Amino acid sequence: MLLKFLIVDDSVTMRRIVVNTLKNLGYSDFVEAIDGREALEKLSADENINFVVTDWNMPVISGLELVKSIRSTDKFGKLPILMVTTRGIKEDIIEALTAKVNNYVVKPFTPAILKEKIDQILATV
Amino acid sequence: MKTENLTELFDQLNGLKSVFKYGQKLIPIVQNLLDFMKETAPMLENINLSISESTNKIPKAANQINNVTSATELATTEILDIVDIISSDILQIENNLKEIFKAEESKNEIIKKIKILHVNGDDKSLFDEYTKVNHTETAHKNISELISKIKTNSYNITLSLQVQDITSQQLAAVSHLIYSVQERLSSLVHNIHETNENEFDSMNLAVPEGASFDPNARYSKEGNKQDHVDLIMNDQLKKTSQAEIDKLFS
Repeated sequence: MLLKFLIVDDSVTMRRIVVNTLKNLGYSDFVEAIDGREALEKLSADENINFVVTDWNMPVISGLELVKSIRSTDKFGKLPILMVTTRGIKEDIIEALTAKVNNYVVKPFTPAILKEKIDQILATV
Repeated sequence: MKTENLTELFDQLNGLKSVFKYGQKLIPIVQNLLDFMKETAPMLENINLSISESTNKIPKAANQINNVTSATELATTEILDIVDIISSDILQIENNLKEIFKAEESKNEIIKKIKILHVNGDDKSLFDEYTKVNHTETAHKNISELISKIKTNSYNITLSLQVQDITSQQLAAVSHLIYSVQERLSSLVHNIHETNENEFDSMNLAVPEGASFDPNARYSKEGNKQDHVDLIMNDQLKKTSQAEIDKLFS
């Protein structure tokens, strides 16, 4: 399956790190967004996006709100979403799961963890 | 005047006397209180002045924190650019080395063929000598290992730069805290001096509108952080699945 990733993070550093890590894992197709609002715009404009990696804490529209927005539509209802965030407390994880993220990674992550979670998601979709 | 009236008058005079006596006792206390207020008034004025000055300095402190975030982001981007250049150079070296290895292998194949054609006498010993000096395989292996090590290390630099995002969230939390303190102090100064609150409103604190941060963000490479997340995830997913099963049978 050819994956086109949408990387959503307000930190330019994190976007680059995620992209570099995914490149090292063999992926090559990426679109970037600086917050949830831009992510929704890019999703609407590009039908080839089939995997979302999003941060939680972002201005304008947060990662959690983005997940909820995506899940509220029929078109993107089953789009794989991986949350990559600093938030590691139980309540946050449960909130993300309730919003229907497919998997959850805490920063700082390792390539092995990112690969493991992407593979887990791909195995279920 | 009747005797009863006189008794009542004396009683009231005695009462008045007691009040005066009590008042006399109170006078030094009231005096002390006045002295204390006289002494504390300039102190309170100083406190007000200090609060006012501190309130004025807060926007600068908050802006300095935001400058630190911008500076570290810029520096991180520069480091990432350099790491990208190093990675690209390593890739080029790797490709060139592959070409060299390939050429070496082809050369050795040709030498083997020539050796078959010239099997006797001095030629053989010359070929043997060539084979003896042509032991570049170990060097090739070492170089490949070294390249792989450099690649891993430069990639680890990239991963370690996640610290910038995590610390910037911590700094954003501090900025937000400073902003809250400034608001409280401004309100306090306003109440004391009845100054125009706009005076403080005009001090723009660079807290971005709708800023979102995790005040608990921590940079730790301990794997148990992710293990903890996985544990909760699995636990919750199990609960969800069970809930769905229960729903089916209810």
